[in-house]
Amino acid sequence: MSFEDMLSDLKAREDKALAMGGPARLAKREAAGLLNARSRIDTFIDEGSWVETGLLAVSSMVAEDRDKTPADGKVAGFAKCDGRMVGVVANDFTTKGASSSATNMKKIGHVKRVATERGFPLVFFGESSGARMPDNMGAKGMGANLGHDPQQYVRNRASPWASAVLGQCYGSSAWYTCLADFAVIRKGAIMAVASPGLASFAIGQEVEAEDLGGWKLHSEVSGLVDRVAETDEEAIEVIKTFLSYMPSNCNELPPEAPVPAGSDDNPERILDILPESRKRGYDVRKIINCIADLDSFFEFKPRFGRTVVTGLARLDGKTVGFIASNPMGKAGALDVAGCEKATRFTVMCDSFNIPLVLLVDTPGFVIGIEGEKQKAPGKIMNFMQALQMCTVPKLSVITRKTYGQAYLNMGGGRNSDDVAAWPTAEISFMDPTYATEIVTWGQDASEERKQEIMDQMQKDNSAYGLAEIYGVQAVISPADTRRYLIQQLEIHQLRLSGGIGEHRMCFWPTTF
Amino acid sequence: MATIEVLSEVIGSVWKIEKSEGDTVAEGEQIMILESMKMEIPVEAPSAGTLVEIKVVPEESVDEDQVLCLIEN
Repeated sequence: MSFEDMLSDLKAREDKALAMGGPARLAKREAAGLLNARSRIDTFIDEGSWVETGLLAVSSMVAEDRDKTPADGKVAGFAKCDGRMVGVVANDFTTKGASSSATNMKKIGHVKRVATERGFPLVFFGESSGARMPDNMGAKGMGANLGHDPQQYVRNRASPWASAVLGQCYGSSAWYTCLADFAVIRKGAIMAVASPGLASFAIGQEVEAEDLGGWKLHSEVSGLVDRVAETDEEAIEVIKTFLSYMPSNCNELPPEAPVPAGSDDNPERILDILPESRKRGYDVRKIINCIADLDSFFEFKPRFGRTVVTGLARLDGKTVGFIASNPMGKAGALDVAGCEKATRFTVMCDSFNIPLVLLVDTPGFVIGIEGEKQKAPGKIMNFMQALQMCTVPKLSVITRKTYGQAYLNMGGGRNSDDVAAWPTAEISFMDPTYATEIVTWGQDASEERKQEIMDQMQKDNSAYGLAEIYGVQAVISPADTRRYLIQQLEIHQLRLSGGIGEHRMCFWPTTF
Repeated sequence: MATIEVLSEVIGSVWKIEKSEGDTVAEGEQIMILESMKMEIPVEAPSAGTLVEIKVVPEESVDEDQVLCLIEN
Protein backbone atom coordinates (compact mmCIF):
# COMPACT_ATOMS: atom_id res chain seq x y z
CA MET A 1 0.00 0.00 0.00
CA SER A 2 1.36 3.44 -0.86
CA PHE A 3 1.69 6.09 1.81
CA GLU A 4 -1.06 8.00 0.08
CA ASP A 5 -3.40 5.05 0.37
CA MET A 6 -2.49 4.50 4.02
CA LEU A 7 -3.18 8.11 4.89
CA SER A 8 -6.46 8.05 2.99
CA ASP A 9 -7.43 4.96 4.86
CA LEU A 10 -6.58 6.63 8.17
CA LYS A 11 -8.66 9.67 7.25
CA ALA A 12 -11.57 7.50 6.24
CA ARG A 13 -11.52 5.68 9.55
CA GLU A 14 -11.33 8.97 11.44
CA ASP A 15 -14.22 10.45 9.46
CA LYS A 16 -16.30 7.37 10.15
CA ALA A 17 -15.62 7.65 13.86
CA LEU A 18 -16.41 11.36 13.86
CA ALA A 19 -19.76 10.70 12.17
CA MET A 20 -21.00 9.00 15.35
CA GLY A 21 -24.31 7.16 14.82
CA GLY A 22 -24.86 8.69 11.39
CA PRO A 23 -26.66 11.72 9.92
CA ALA A 24 -30.21 10.45 10.46
CA ARG A 25 -29.82 9.91 14.19
CA LEU A 26 -27.90 13.15 14.63
CA ALA A 27 -30.58 15.09 12.73
CA LYS A 28 -33.29 13.63 14.95
CA ARG A 29 -31.49 14.87 18.05
CA GLU A 30 -30.98 18.29 16.55
CA ALA A 31 -34.67 18.52 15.71
CA ALA A 32 -35.45 17.72 19.34
CA GLY A 33 -33.20 20.58 20.50
CA LEU A 34 -30.57 18.24 21.89
CA LEU A 35 -26.84 18.53 21.38
CA ASN A 36 -24.81 15.43 20.59
CA ALA A 37 -21.63 14.19 22.24
CA ARG A 38 -19.30 16.20 20.00
CA SER A 39 -21.36 19.37 19.91
CA ARG A 40 -21.53 19.25 23.72
CA ILE A 41 -17.74 19.13 23.79
CA ASP A 42 -17.51 21.97 21.25
CA THR A 43 -19.87 24.10 23.34
CA PHE A 44 -17.82 23.50 26.47
CA ILE A 45 -14.19 23.81 25.38
CA ASP A 46 -12.01 26.60 24.02
CA GLU A 47 -12.08 26.44 20.24
CA GLY A 48 -9.33 24.35 18.69
CA SER A 49 -8.16 22.85 22.00
CA TRP A 50 -9.62 19.34 21.66
CA VAL A 51 -7.19 16.41 21.88
CA GLU A 52 -9.14 13.19 21.52
CA THR A 53 -8.08 9.89 22.97
CA GLY A 54 -9.31 6.61 21.51
CA LEU A 55 -11.06 7.99 18.41
CA LEU A 56 -10.59 4.69 16.59
CA ALA A 57 -11.65 2.47 19.49
CA VAL A 58 -14.54 0.15 18.68
CA SER A 59 -16.36 -2.73 20.33
CA SER A 60 -13.93 -5.45 21.34
CA MET A 61 -16.65 -7.86 22.46
CA VAL A 62 -18.88 -8.57 19.48
CA ALA A 63 -17.34 -8.91 16.00
CA GLU A 64 -20.45 -7.63 14.19
CA ASP A 65 -20.41 -4.49 16.35
CA ARG A 66 -16.96 -3.35 15.29
CA ASP A 67 -18.45 -1.54 12.34
CA LYS A 68 -21.29 -0.03 14.33
CA THR A 69 -19.44 1.40 17.31
CA PRO A 70 -17.53 4.55 16.35
CA ALA A 71 -15.31 5.57 19.27
CA ASP A 72 -17.13 2.70 21.03
CA GLY A 73 -19.92 5.11 21.90
CA LYS A 74 -18.07 7.36 24.33
CA VAL A 75 -16.00 10.35 23.18
CA ALA A 76 -13.07 11.04 25.50
CA GLY A 77 -10.17 13.42 25.56
CA PHE A 78 -8.49 16.52 26.85
CA ALA A 79 -8.99 20.21 26.12
CA LYS A 80 -8.88 23.70 27.57
CA CYS A 81 -11.87 25.32 29.20
CA ASP A 82 -11.41 29.05 29.78
CA GLY A 83 -7.69 28.49 29.31
CA ARG A 84 -7.32 25.63 31.80
CA MET A 85 -6.78 21.93 31.07
CA VAL A 86 -9.77 19.61 31.56
CA GLY A 87 -10.55 15.97 30.88
CA VAL A 88 -13.88 15.24 29.21
CA VAL A 89 -16.01 12.13 28.72
CA ALA A 90 -19.04 12.70 26.49
CA ASN A 91 -21.48 9.88 25.89
CA ASP A 92 -22.58 9.31 22.28
CA PHE A 93 -26.16 8.14 22.62
CA THR A 94 -26.46 7.65 18.85
CA THR A 95 -24.05 4.72 19.16
CA LYS A 96 -25.70 1.82 20.94
CA GLY A 97 -27.16 4.18 23.53
CA ALA A 98 -23.61 5.02 24.68
CA SER A 99 -23.75 1.73 26.53
CA SER A 100 -20.71 0.73 28.55
CA SER A 101 -18.43 -2.03 27.40
CA ALA A 102 -14.81 -3.10 27.63
CA THR A 103 -13.17 -0.59 25.27
CA ASN A 104 -15.02 2.52 26.28
CA MET A 105 -14.59 1.77 29.98
CA LYS A 106 -10.86 1.59 29.36
CA LYS A 107 -11.08 5.05 27.77
CA ILE A 108 -12.93 6.49 30.75
CA GLY A 109 -10.38 4.87 33.05
CA HIS A 110 -7.55 6.47 31.15
CA VAL A 111 -8.98 10.00 31.14
CA LYS A 112 -9.86 9.64 34.80
CA ARG A 113 -6.37 8.46 35.72
CA VAL A 114 -4.65 11.21 33.75
CA ALA A 115 -6.89 13.97 35.15
CA THR A 116 -6.35 12.68 38.68
CA GLU A 117 -2.58 12.13 38.43
CA ARG A 118 -1.82 15.25 36.37
CA GLY A 119 -4.13 17.47 38.42
CA PHE A 120 -6.96 18.90 36.32
CA PRO A 121 -10.77 18.75 36.43
CA LEU A 122 -12.82 15.96 34.91
CA VAL A 123 -16.17 16.65 33.27
CA PHE A 124 -18.78 14.06 32.29
CA PHE A 125 -21.60 14.71 29.81
CA GLY A 126 -23.88 11.92 30.93
CA GLU A 127 -26.31 10.11 28.68
CA SER A 128 -25.99 6.34 28.69
CA SER A 129 -28.27 3.35 28.66
CA GLY A 130 -26.01 1.49 31.07
CA ALA A 131 -24.16 -1.73 30.49
CA ARG A 132 -24.10 -2.99 26.90
CA MET A 133 -25.96 -6.21 26.16
CA PRO A 134 -24.95 -8.92 25.40
CA ASP A 135 -21.33 -7.93 26.10
CA ASN A 136 -21.66 -8.13 29.87
CA MET A 137 -23.85 -11.24 30.00
CA GLY A 138 -22.68 -14.57 31.35
CA ALA A 139 -19.69 -15.37 33.47
CA LYS A 140 -17.21 -14.62 30.69
CA GLY A 141 -18.90 -11.34 29.84
CA MET A 142 -18.80 -10.25 33.47
CA GLY A 143 -15.29 -11.52 34.01
CA ALA A 144 -13.93 -9.91 30.84
CA ASN A 145 -15.58 -6.55 31.30
CA LEU A 146 -16.05 -5.66 34.92
CA GLY A 147 -13.96 -5.19 38.00
CA HIS A 148 -10.56 -4.60 36.45
CA ASP A 149 -9.95 -1.38 38.27
CA PRO A 150 -10.06 -1.81 42.04
CA GLN A 151 -10.03 1.98 42.37
CA GLN A 152 -12.71 2.64 39.78
CA TYR A 153 -15.18 4.23 42.18
CA VAL A 154 -12.85 5.69 44.77
CA ARG A 155 -13.37 9.42 44.89
CA ASN A 156 -10.25 11.01 46.30
CA ARG A 157 -10.98 14.65 45.32
CA ALA A 158 -7.56 15.22 43.77
CA SER A 159 -9.22 17.48 41.21
CA PRO A 160 -12.78 18.81 40.81
CA TRP A 161 -15.30 16.64 38.96
CA ALA A 162 -18.48 17.94 37.35
CA SER A 163 -21.22 15.97 35.66
CA ALA A 164 -24.23 16.91 33.55
CA VAL A 165 -27.24 14.58 33.34
CA LEU A 166 -28.23 15.26 29.75
CA GLY A 167 -30.46 12.35 28.84
CA GLN A 168 -31.19 8.90 30.15
CA CYS A 169 -28.45 8.12 32.64
CA TYR A 170 -28.22 4.59 33.92
CA GLY A 171 -25.10 2.76 35.03
CA SER A 172 -21.81 4.62 34.59
CA SER A 173 -23.42 8.00 33.83
CA ALA A 174 -25.34 7.75 37.10
CA TRP A 175 -22.33 6.52 39.08
CA TYR A 176 -20.04 9.32 37.92
CA THR A 177 -22.72 11.92 38.56
CA CYS A 178 -22.96 10.76 42.16
CA LEU A 179 -19.18 10.81 42.52
CA ALA A 180 -18.86 14.33 41.10
CA ASP A 181 -18.42 17.48 43.18
CA PHE A 182 -21.03 19.29 41.12
CA ALA A 183 -23.93 17.90 39.12
CA VAL A 184 -26.52 19.56 36.90
CA ILE A 185 -29.59 17.90 35.35
CA ARG A 186 -31.36 19.11 32.23
CA LYS A 187 -35.16 19.02 32.48
CA GLY A 188 -36.40 15.88 30.76
CA ALA A 189 -33.24 13.94 31.54
CA ILE A 190 -33.49 10.93 33.84
CA MET A 191 -30.96 9.45 36.24
CA ALA A 192 -31.57 6.15 38.00
CA VAL A 193 -30.02 2.80 38.84
CA ALA A 194 -31.95 1.23 35.96
CA SER A 195 -34.43 2.34 33.31
CA PRO A 196 -38.18 2.76 33.94
CA GLY A 197 -38.76 -0.09 31.48
CA LEU A 198 -36.59 -2.46 33.46
CA ALA A 199 -38.03 -1.22 36.77
CA SER A 200 -41.59 -1.73 35.50
CA PHE A 201 -40.67 -5.18 34.22
CA ALA A 202 -38.93 -6.17 37.43
CA ILE A 203 -41.59 -5.00 39.88
CA GLY A 204 -44.64 -5.60 37.73
CA GLN A 205 -46.03 -2.06 37.89
CA GLU A 206 -45.76 0.95 35.62
CA VAL A 207 -43.01 3.29 36.71
CA GLU A 208 -42.99 6.78 35.25
CA ALA A 209 -39.55 8.00 34.20
CA GLU A 210 -39.90 11.39 35.92
CA ASP A 211 -40.95 9.72 39.18
CA LEU A 212 -38.03 7.32 38.99
CA GLY A 213 -35.29 9.81 38.27
CA GLY A 214 -36.43 13.16 36.89
CA TRP A 215 -35.23 16.67 37.67
CA LYS A 216 -37.74 17.30 40.42
CA LEU A 217 -36.84 14.11 42.25
CA HIS A 218 -33.13 14.74 42.10
CA SER A 219 -33.16 18.46 42.81
CA GLU A 220 -35.78 18.39 45.59
CA VAL A 221 -35.96 14.93 47.14
CA SER A 222 -32.75 12.96 46.64
CA GLY A 223 -30.55 16.05 46.46
CA LEU A 224 -28.20 14.17 44.14
CA VAL A 225 -27.92 17.13 41.76
CA ASP A 226 -26.92 20.69 42.51
CA ARG A 227 -28.66 22.62 39.72
CA VAL A 228 -31.34 22.26 37.09
CA ALA A 229 -31.01 23.52 33.51
CA GLU A 230 -33.55 24.03 30.73
CA THR A 231 -31.20 23.11 27.87
CA ASP A 232 -27.94 21.30 27.18
CA GLU A 233 -26.28 24.68 26.54
CA GLU A 234 -27.41 26.03 29.90
CA ALA A 235 -26.17 22.91 31.71
CA ILE A 236 -22.77 23.22 30.06
CA GLU A 237 -22.58 26.93 30.92
CA VAL A 238 -23.37 26.22 34.57
CA ILE A 239 -20.55 23.66 34.71
CA LYS A 240 -18.18 26.28 33.32
CA THR A 241 -19.35 28.69 36.01
CA PHE A 242 -18.73 26.07 38.72
CA LEU A 243 -15.21 25.42 37.43
CA SER A 244 -14.41 29.16 37.41
CA TYR A 245 -14.54 29.13 41.24
CA MET A 246 -12.44 26.01 41.65
CA PRO A 247 -8.70 25.32 41.53
CA SER A 248 -7.53 22.88 38.87
CA ASN A 249 -6.47 20.46 41.61
CA CYS A 250 -6.32 20.17 45.38
CA ASN A 251 -2.75 21.47 45.52
CA GLU A 252 -3.67 24.85 44.05
CA LEU A 253 -5.56 27.85 45.33
CA PRO A 254 -8.78 28.73 43.53
CA PRO A 255 -8.33 31.30 40.75
CA GLU A 256 -8.82 34.93 41.74
CA ALA A 257 -11.23 37.18 39.89
CA PRO A 258 -11.36 40.97 39.66
CA VAL A 259 -13.64 42.61 42.23
CA PRO A 260 -16.65 44.04 40.35
CA ALA A 261 -17.22 47.77 40.71
CA GLY A 262 -19.91 48.48 43.25
CA SER A 263 -19.10 45.54 45.53
CA ASP A 264 -18.21 47.90 48.38
CA ASP A 265 -21.04 50.36 47.81
CA ASN A 266 -23.91 50.70 50.25
CA PRO A 267 -23.01 48.18 52.95
CA GLU A 268 -25.96 49.58 54.94
CA ARG A 269 -28.43 48.05 52.54
CA ILE A 270 -28.05 44.89 54.58
CA LEU A 271 -30.10 46.67 57.24
CA ASP A 272 -32.95 47.13 54.75
CA ILE A 273 -33.12 43.39 54.27
CA LEU A 274 -32.80 42.28 57.88
CA PRO A 275 -36.25 42.70 59.47
CA GLU A 276 -36.46 44.63 62.70
CA SER A 277 -38.86 42.06 64.11
CA ARG A 278 -37.14 38.88 65.26
CA LYS A 279 -40.21 36.91 64.17
CA ARG A 280 -40.00 38.07 60.56
CA GLY A 281 -38.31 35.80 58.05
CA TYR A 282 -36.05 36.98 55.25
CA ASP A 283 -34.27 35.43 52.30
CA VAL A 284 -30.67 34.94 53.43
CA ARG A 285 -29.49 34.97 49.81
CA LYS A 286 -30.20 38.69 49.79
CA ILE A 287 -27.91 39.08 52.80
CA ILE A 288 -25.21 37.00 51.08
CA ASN A 289 -25.52 39.24 48.02
CA CYS A 290 -24.85 42.29 50.22
CA ILE A 291 -21.71 40.70 51.65
CA ALA A 292 -20.12 38.92 48.69
CA ASP A 293 -18.55 40.53 45.64
CA LEU A 294 -21.30 41.81 43.35
CA ASP A 295 -23.19 39.01 41.54
CA SER A 296 -20.67 36.39 42.67
CA PHE A 297 -23.01 34.07 44.57
CA PHE A 298 -23.41 30.68 42.87
CA GLU A 299 -25.91 28.53 44.74
CA PHE A 300 -25.74 24.73 45.21
CA LYS A 301 -28.93 22.71 45.67
CA PRO A 302 -31.38 25.65 45.94
CA ARG A 303 -34.36 23.28 46.01
CA PHE A 304 -33.01 20.73 48.50
CA GLY A 305 -32.54 21.15 52.23
CA ARG A 306 -33.94 24.65 52.03
CA THR A 307 -33.37 25.38 55.70
CA VAL A 308 -29.73 26.00 54.75
CA VAL A 309 -28.36 27.91 51.77
CA THR A 310 -25.00 26.75 50.38
CA GLY A 311 -23.00 28.20 47.55
CA LEU A 312 -19.71 29.49 46.28
CA ALA A 313 -19.04 33.21 46.10
CA ARG A 314 -16.10 35.60 46.11
CA LEU A 315 -14.88 38.00 48.75
CA ASP A 316 -12.36 40.49 47.48
CA GLY A 317 -11.93 38.33 44.38
CA LYS A 318 -11.20 35.10 46.26
CA THR A 319 -13.48 32.06 46.31
CA VAL A 320 -15.30 31.30 49.56
CA GLY A 321 -18.07 28.87 50.44
CA PHE A 322 -21.17 30.18 52.19
CA ILE A 323 -23.27 28.02 54.52
CA ALA A 324 -26.16 30.14 55.75
CA SER A 325 -29.26 29.44 57.83
CA ASN A 326 -32.34 30.27 55.81
CA PRO A 327 -35.20 31.57 57.97
CA MET A 328 -37.59 31.13 55.03
CA GLY A 329 -37.17 27.36 55.46
CA LYS A 330 -38.62 25.93 58.68
CA ALA A 331 -37.61 29.14 60.48
CA GLY A 332 -33.98 28.21 59.80
CA ALA A 333 -34.19 25.04 61.88
CA LEU A 334 -31.68 22.50 60.62
CA ASP A 335 -33.29 19.36 59.22
CA VAL A 336 -31.73 16.15 57.86
CA ALA A 337 -31.58 17.42 54.27
CA GLY A 338 -30.00 20.67 55.45
CA CYS A 339 -27.37 18.76 57.43
CA GLU A 340 -26.57 16.52 54.44
CA LYS A 341 -26.27 19.51 52.13
CA ALA A 342 -24.06 21.45 54.55
CA THR A 343 -21.86 18.40 55.19
CA ARG A 344 -21.30 17.67 51.50
CA PHE A 345 -20.54 21.32 50.80
CA THR A 346 -18.09 21.51 53.72
CA VAL A 347 -16.23 18.46 52.42
CA MET A 348 -15.97 19.95 48.93
CA CYS A 349 -14.72 23.35 50.09
CA ASP A 350 -12.20 21.81 52.48
CA SER A 351 -10.91 19.47 49.78
CA PHE A 352 -10.22 22.36 47.39
CA ASN A 353 -8.79 24.99 49.72
CA ILE A 354 -11.92 27.14 49.86
CA PRO A 355 -12.55 28.96 53.17
CA LEU A 356 -16.00 28.68 54.72
CA VAL A 357 -18.27 31.49 55.88
CA LEU A 358 -21.23 30.49 58.06
CA LEU A 359 -24.14 32.87 58.64
CA VAL A 360 -26.07 31.69 61.67
CA ASP A 361 -29.77 32.28 62.34
CA THR A 362 -31.20 29.00 63.57
CA PRO A 363 -33.53 28.04 66.44
CA GLY A 364 -31.97 24.55 66.54
CA PHE A 365 -32.76 21.28 64.81
CA VAL A 366 -36.10 20.15 63.47
CA ILE A 367 -37.38 17.51 65.85
CA GLY A 368 -39.95 14.79 65.35
CA ILE A 369 -40.56 11.34 63.94
CA GLU A 370 -39.85 12.16 60.30
CA GLY A 371 -36.35 13.33 61.12
CA GLU A 372 -35.65 10.37 63.37
CA LYS A 373 -36.68 7.98 60.56
CA GLN A 374 -34.00 9.68 58.46
CA LYS A 375 -31.34 9.18 61.15
CA ALA A 376 -31.29 12.83 62.32
CA PRO A 377 -28.83 12.39 65.23
CA GLY A 378 -26.41 10.61 62.90
CA LYS A 379 -26.66 13.32 60.25
CA ILE A 380 -26.02 15.99 62.87
CA MET A 381 -22.89 14.14 63.89
CA ASN A 382 -21.76 13.77 60.27
CA PHE A 383 -22.04 17.54 59.90
CA MET A 384 -20.18 18.06 63.16
CA GLN A 385 -17.40 15.69 62.16
CA ALA A 386 -16.95 17.37 58.79
CA LEU A 387 -16.83 20.81 60.35
CA GLN A 388 -14.29 19.73 62.95
CA MET A 389 -12.08 17.97 60.40
CA CYS A 390 -11.79 21.10 58.25
CA THR A 391 -8.38 22.61 57.85
CA VAL A 392 -9.51 25.53 55.68
CA PRO A 393 -10.34 28.74 57.54
CA LYS A 394 -13.89 28.84 58.95
CA LEU A 395 -15.57 32.11 59.88
CA SER A 396 -18.97 32.35 61.57
CA VAL A 397 -21.23 35.36 61.89
CA ILE A 398 -24.15 34.96 64.30
CA THR A 399 -26.82 37.17 62.77
CA ARG A 400 -29.83 36.35 64.92
CA LYS A 401 -30.80 33.20 66.83
CA THR A 402 -28.43 30.39 67.62
CA TYR A 403 -29.52 27.68 70.01
CA GLY A 404 -28.07 24.48 71.40
CA GLN A 405 -26.15 21.92 69.42
CA ALA A 406 -27.02 23.80 66.22
CA TYR A 407 -24.93 26.69 67.60
CA LEU A 408 -21.95 24.33 67.49
CA ASN A 409 -22.87 22.92 64.07
CA MET A 410 -22.80 26.42 62.67
CA GLY A 411 -19.35 27.11 64.05
CA GLY A 412 -20.06 28.28 67.59
CA GLY A 413 -17.33 28.16 70.18
CA ARG A 414 -14.06 26.96 68.74
CA ASN A 415 -15.77 25.22 65.84
CA SER A 416 -14.94 28.19 63.68
CA ASP A 417 -11.61 29.98 63.65
CA ASP A 418 -13.30 33.30 64.31
CA VAL A 419 -16.84 34.05 65.41
CA ALA A 420 -18.50 37.45 65.31
CA ALA A 421 -22.04 38.37 66.28
CA TRP A 422 -24.43 41.11 65.22
CA PRO A 423 -26.14 43.07 67.97
CA THR A 424 -29.31 41.21 66.94
CA ALA A 425 -27.81 37.87 68.00
CA GLU A 426 -29.52 35.67 70.59
CA ILE A 427 -27.62 32.78 72.07
CA SER A 428 -28.84 30.13 74.46
CA PHE A 429 -29.33 26.42 74.80
CA MET A 430 -33.01 26.46 73.91
CA ASP A 431 -36.05 28.66 73.84
CA PRO A 432 -36.84 29.62 77.49
CA THR A 433 -40.43 28.34 77.11
CA TYR A 434 -39.21 24.83 76.30
CA ALA A 435 -36.52 24.96 78.99
CA THR A 436 -39.20 25.78 81.58
CA GLU A 437 -41.33 22.85 80.44
CA ILE A 438 -38.38 20.51 80.82
CA VAL A 439 -37.48 21.48 84.37
CA THR A 440 -41.12 21.37 85.55
CA TRP A 441 -41.88 18.07 83.79
CA GLY A 442 -43.99 15.73 85.84
CA GLN A 443 -44.45 18.33 88.58
CA ASP A 444 -47.68 20.07 89.29
CA ALA A 445 -46.13 23.54 88.89
CA SER A 446 -48.39 26.57 89.03
CA GLU A 447 -48.41 29.22 86.32
CA GLU A 448 -46.70 31.65 88.70
CA ARG A 449 -43.96 29.13 89.46
CA LYS A 450 -43.48 28.50 85.76
CA GLN A 451 -43.24 32.21 85.05
CA GLU A 452 -40.67 32.58 87.83
CA ILE A 453 -38.58 29.80 86.33
CA MET A 454 -38.97 31.21 82.81
CA ASP A 455 -37.67 34.57 84.03
CA GLN A 456 -34.59 32.78 85.38
CA MET A 457 -34.18 30.91 82.08
CA GLN A 458 -34.42 34.16 80.16
CA LYS A 459 -30.87 34.93 81.18
CA ASP A 460 -28.85 37.39 79.27
CA ASN A 461 -28.80 35.76 75.84
CA SER A 462 -27.36 38.73 73.99
CA ALA A 463 -24.19 38.92 71.92
CA TYR A 464 -22.61 40.98 74.70
CA GLY A 465 -22.94 38.12 77.18
CA LEU A 466 -20.89 35.99 74.82
CA ALA A 467 -18.46 38.81 74.04
CA GLU A 468 -17.75 39.40 77.73
CA ILE A 469 -16.41 35.86 78.18
CA TYR A 470 -14.66 35.91 74.79
CA GLY A 471 -17.17 33.42 73.43
CA VAL A 472 -17.23 35.56 70.30
CA GLN A 473 -14.25 37.54 69.10
CA ALA A 474 -16.25 40.61 68.10
CA VAL A 475 -19.68 42.18 67.98
CA ILE A 476 -20.05 43.96 64.65
CA SER A 477 -22.57 46.09 62.86
CA PRO A 478 -24.25 44.17 60.02
CA ALA A 479 -22.96 46.82 57.59
CA ASP A 480 -19.39 45.96 58.65
CA THR A 481 -19.73 42.24 57.83
CA ARG A 482 -18.11 42.32 54.38
CA ARG A 483 -15.14 44.31 55.66
CA TYR A 484 -14.81 42.07 58.75
CA LEU A 485 -14.83 38.87 56.68
CA ILE A 486 -12.28 40.17 54.18
CA GLN A 487 -9.98 41.15 57.06
CA GLN A 488 -10.40 37.79 58.81
CA LEU A 489 -9.78 35.85 55.61
CA GLU A 490 -6.49 37.70 55.21
CA ILE A 491 -5.53 36.98 58.83
CA HIS A 492 -6.47 33.29 58.54
CA GLN A 493 -4.70 32.56 55.25
CA LEU A 494 -2.84 29.27 55.54
CA ARG A 495 0.57 30.88 55.09
CA LEU A 496 2.55 27.92 56.41
CA SER A 497 1.29 25.70 53.60
CA GLY A 498 0.89 28.25 50.81
CA GLY A 499 -2.87 28.29 51.30
CA ILE A 500 -3.27 24.54 50.89
CA GLY A 501 -5.28 22.62 53.47
CA GLU A 502 -4.59 19.13 54.80
CA HIS A 503 -7.53 17.59 52.91
CA ARG A 504 -8.46 15.17 55.70
CA MET A 505 -11.82 14.58 54.04
CA CYS A 506 -10.67 13.97 50.50
CA PHE A 507 -11.98 10.38 50.72
CA TRP A 508 -15.30 11.27 52.38
CA PRO A 509 -18.18 9.32 50.77
CA THR A 510 -20.00 11.31 48.13
CA THR A 511 -23.47 10.36 49.36
CA PHE A 512 -24.33 9.40 52.93
CA MET B 1 -47.46 38.89 28.27
CA ALA B 2 -46.30 36.21 30.65
CA THR B 3 -48.10 34.81 33.66
CA ILE B 4 -45.86 34.14 36.61
CA GLU B 5 -46.85 31.82 39.43
CA VAL B 6 -45.76 33.02 42.84
CA LEU B 7 -45.03 29.94 44.91
CA SER B 8 -44.93 29.39 48.65
CA GLU B 9 -41.47 28.65 49.94
CA VAL B 10 -42.80 27.11 53.13
CA ILE B 11 -45.37 24.80 54.67
CA GLY B 12 -47.55 27.05 56.79
CA SER B 13 -50.60 29.23 56.62
CA VAL B 14 -51.66 32.58 55.20
CA TRP B 15 -51.47 35.29 57.81
CA LYS B 16 -52.02 38.64 56.06
CA ILE B 17 -52.80 39.50 52.46
CA GLU B 18 -51.56 43.00 51.75
CA LYS B 19 -52.50 43.48 48.11
CA SER B 20 -55.69 43.08 46.09
CA GLU B 21 -56.40 41.51 42.73
CA GLY B 22 -55.75 44.06 40.01
CA ASP B 23 -53.01 45.90 41.93
CA THR B 24 -49.78 46.77 40.16
CA VAL B 25 -46.76 45.41 42.01
CA ALA B 26 -43.08 46.22 41.72
CA GLU B 27 -40.37 43.60 41.79
CA GLY B 28 -39.70 42.72 45.42
CA GLU B 29 -42.90 44.30 46.69
CA GLN B 30 -44.57 42.42 49.52
CA ILE B 31 -47.85 40.74 48.50
CA MET B 32 -48.69 38.73 51.60
CA ILE B 33 -47.20 37.29 54.76
CA LEU B 34 -47.34 33.59 55.60
CA GLU B 35 -46.81 32.05 59.00
CA SER B 36 -44.58 29.02 59.39
CA MET B 37 -43.01 27.60 62.55
CA LYS B 38 -43.97 30.78 64.42
CA MET B 39 -42.08 32.90 61.87
CA GLU B 40 -43.63 35.54 59.64
CA ILE B 41 -42.58 34.72 56.09
CA PRO B 42 -42.95 37.57 53.60
CA VAL B 43 -43.99 36.72 50.03
CA GLU B 44 -42.58 39.16 47.52
CA ALA B 45 -43.31 39.71 43.84
CA PRO B 46 -40.58 37.98 41.80
CA SER B 47 -41.06 40.59 39.09
CA ALA B 48 -43.10 43.68 38.37
CA GLY B 49 -46.59 43.33 36.91
CA THR B 50 -50.27 43.14 37.66
CA LEU B 51 -51.53 40.89 40.41
CA VAL B 52 -54.22 39.14 38.39
CA GLU B 53 -55.27 36.45 40.85
CA ILE B 54 -54.85 35.69 44.54
CA LYS B 55 -55.44 32.00 45.08
CA VAL B 56 -55.47 31.83 48.86
CA VAL B 57 -57.36 33.38 51.78
CA PRO B 58 -56.24 34.28 55.30
CA GLU B 59 -55.81 31.33 57.64
CA GLU B 60 -55.66 28.89 54.74
CA SER B 61 -52.96 26.21 55.08
CA VAL B 62 -50.37 26.22 52.33
CA ASP B 63 -47.80 23.70 51.15
CA GLU B 64 -44.28 24.24 49.87
CA ASP B 65 -44.46 25.20 46.16
CA GLN B 66 -48.20 25.83 46.29
CA VAL B 67 -49.27 28.61 43.93
CA LEU B 68 -50.26 31.63 46.02
CA CYS B 69 -51.01 34.16 43.32
CA LEU B 70 -50.48 35.00 39.66
CA ILE B 71 -48.70 38.03 38.23
CA GLU B 72 -48.98 39.11 34.62
CA ASN B 73 -46.28 41.23 33.03
